[in-house]
Amino acid sequence: METPHTEHLSADDWEHVYEPAEDSFLLLDALEADLDFIEKLQPCLCLEIGSGSGVLITALAKRLSHNTLCLATDINPRACIATKRTALHNGARVDSMRNNLASAIRKRCIDLLLFNPPYVVTSDEELESQRLTGETPSTERNLVYSWAGGMDGRRVTDILLEQLDDILSPSGVLYLLLLRENKPDEIIKQLQKLNFKAVKHMERRIPGEHLYILKVTRTSF
Amino acid sequence: MKLSTYNFLTSMAIKGVKVGYPLKLRITKKDLVESEFNPTFIERLLPKLDWSAVHAAAQQAELADDIPAEQPENIAENELLMQKLHHLLFEIDVLEGEMECPETGRVFPITDGIPNMLLNEDEV
Repeated sequence: METPHTEHLSADDWEHVYEPAEDSFLLLDALEADLDFIEKLQPCLCLEIGSGSGVLITALAKRLSHNTLCLATDINPRACIATKRTALHNGARVDSMRNNLASAIRKRCIDLLLFNPPYVVTSDEELESQRLTGETPSTERNLVYSWAGGMDGRRVTDILLEQLDDILSPSGVLYLLLLRENKPDEIIKQLQKLNFKAVKHMERRIPGEHLYILKVTRTSF
Repeated sequence: MKLSTYNFLTSMAIKGVKVGYPLKLRITKKDLVESEFNPTFIERLLPKLDWSAVHAAAQQAELADDIPAEQPENIAENELLMQKLHHLLFEIDVLEGEMECPETGRVFPITDGIPNMLLNEDEV
């Protein structure tokens, strides 16, 4: 899989939108390593939640070309625009929309879901105070949304996991990025209770962080 | 926003809304983009599509004559209809417009091709 070009995004864009980093590249590598599985799955509908600059969903859309429909959501309007521009710039077909997680997508439609959540452990107060600063999104607020994860860095991830049954199609798969501090083993157990099978598909140590990619499918499939 | 994407959108997240689709689509500005015809993909996508939303999209995109109100059987064998579906779903790009929740009338604007489906906290 090619890493999409991002030179169309300026320093000003990166002040509002999460710039691809080790976590983004790990997800990209995880997809690359699982291409045989993905090609067999033949996903009709792919969705990236919190697409940021759009590099990940663009790379996937390019690789699967006209055999899939790729959607991207983000709550940050600057990220929605950046995602659309990245897809266009790289000749990929991706539709970008502003949405909270996947709440505007019809139930049980998504065959391949990508989520690089806000995973950094912060105080819940920090997360809350950012939510309550009014309607106008400030630069700082946009970016904080992209990384601040509240207690255990799990606030947003836990909400997504509760909704997963409504999001994934019967054969759907989720690739989820986690940090060791997010307690991946606890998440795997939590997913078992929700009738999902989760495995550590890939992991990588980088200075200061130990990152994991969980691959999640339905137990019944 | 492509009309294939429109087919998968719902306002179900609004408190009290039961189905939430098809959203009532209004197009004020659209663009045509060329896209490679891939009948195999459309055939795989068909079972996931909501035909009433396919039909609604066709009417709004001024292609009402191309798409029957009821889903015909064996569409995959009808190449002309497959091409029309391809054109409708993947080659029409809605740049400006809005979508309205069929149950509450809540309007979701589409600006520069990006639908804003975000709800306020008091709506969910």
